[in-house]
Amino acid sequence: MKNNVLLIGGFHKAAVLSHSLMQRGYQVTVINENYEDCLNLSENKKLKVICGDGTKPYVLEDAEAFDHDIAIALTQNDEENLIICQLCKKKFGIHKTVSLVNDPKKTEFFHHMGVDSVVCAINTITGIIEQQAFMDEISAILPIGKGKINICEVTLSQTSPSVGKKLWELELPKDVIIGCILRGEESMVPRGDTRLIAGDLLVLISTIENQIAAIHILTGR
Amino acid sequence: MKIDGLKRNQERNILIIGCGRLGATLASTLSERKLPVTIIDRKRENFRKLDPSFAGISIEGDATVMEVLMEAGIKNMSDVLVVTDNDNTNLFIAQMVKNVFQIEEVMIRIYDPEKQCIIKDSEIKTIFPALLATEAVEKILNI
Repeated sequence: MKNNVLLIGGFHKAAVLSHSLMQRGYQVTVINENYEDCLNLSENKKLKVICGDGTKPYVLEDAEAFDHDIAIALTQNDEENLIICQLCKKKFGIHKTVSLVNDPKKTEFFHHMGVDSVVCAINTITGIIEQQAFMDEISAILPIGKGKINICEVTLSQTSPSVGKKLWELELPKDVIIGCILRGEESMVPRGDTRLIAGDLLVLISTIENQIAAIHILTGR
Repeated sequence: MKIDGLKRNQERNILIIGCGRLGATLASTLSERKLPVTIIDRKRENFRKLDPSFAGISIEGDATVMEVLMEAGIKNMSDVLVVTDNDNTNLFIAQMVKNVFQIEEVMIRIYDPEKQCIIKDSEIKTIFPALLATEAVEKILNI
């Protein structure tokens, strides 16, 4: 395993990401178009910095792209990111490509064009903001299935309307399931006749649309 | 055979993306041949390059955005010619048009022949000005 990572574009993101990757033992190469940014980045002696346009095959060749295992495209521009990932994959045989995308509607298209991981900054950030806004009721949200399904933790308080009820008595929306109940030190997989009590921590699996409605029924908020 | 050709022309609906020298000339020429042409460009002032007799539709917008393409009626297009001045933009739009909207004939201009590998396995047709010019020069010099 070589563990070489190639970062293309994005000054601040590249700086932070390269730092954290190197701490985990990866060898990192950064490509950046801006000469000043390259000088700043090259202050880190362990980092290999190439100044040039990462959408140009000869720049990628200078960076020895073929010798990397992961390529991450971080430019501001969706078009450039796609072309970078495609060049890395098709011309230089890089196994895994990751791309940033600005327009959430293009995520599927990127996947379809062979990019292995697509990170939509806007979706991710709004997701975190939403999570922060619902912090009281939910302690953790884990989006899966391209963000269509969420797994979250919901804690029941004394005043929650669902306390004292059996699960089948609750009119939970469709596409919502309580996967697990943590009660004190105990964890259990609930059945229809399981009675909820205050202090229960519920692990809720639901679609995004129904999540808020389900939390409302469970906690009243 | 002739009837087939005529019929084909009637069903044709051409979308040109990028109103530079090539895009504008193509649009004007095709429009002169009575073909229905739509042209998209990011900047309105670029439409000045179109011939005054241009009878097609011009749309100001960013063709990398799917909504703009849909507004331009991409679903009814038989041919799409992607000729902006940026290789990356061209490659991006061409692949989107081919894969998302399933347009039969997609043609693209690329300056850098090295980037062809990106669309090697697709049915997108490519034009390389550098290679065409080289061929022309060879012909003139008789090499």
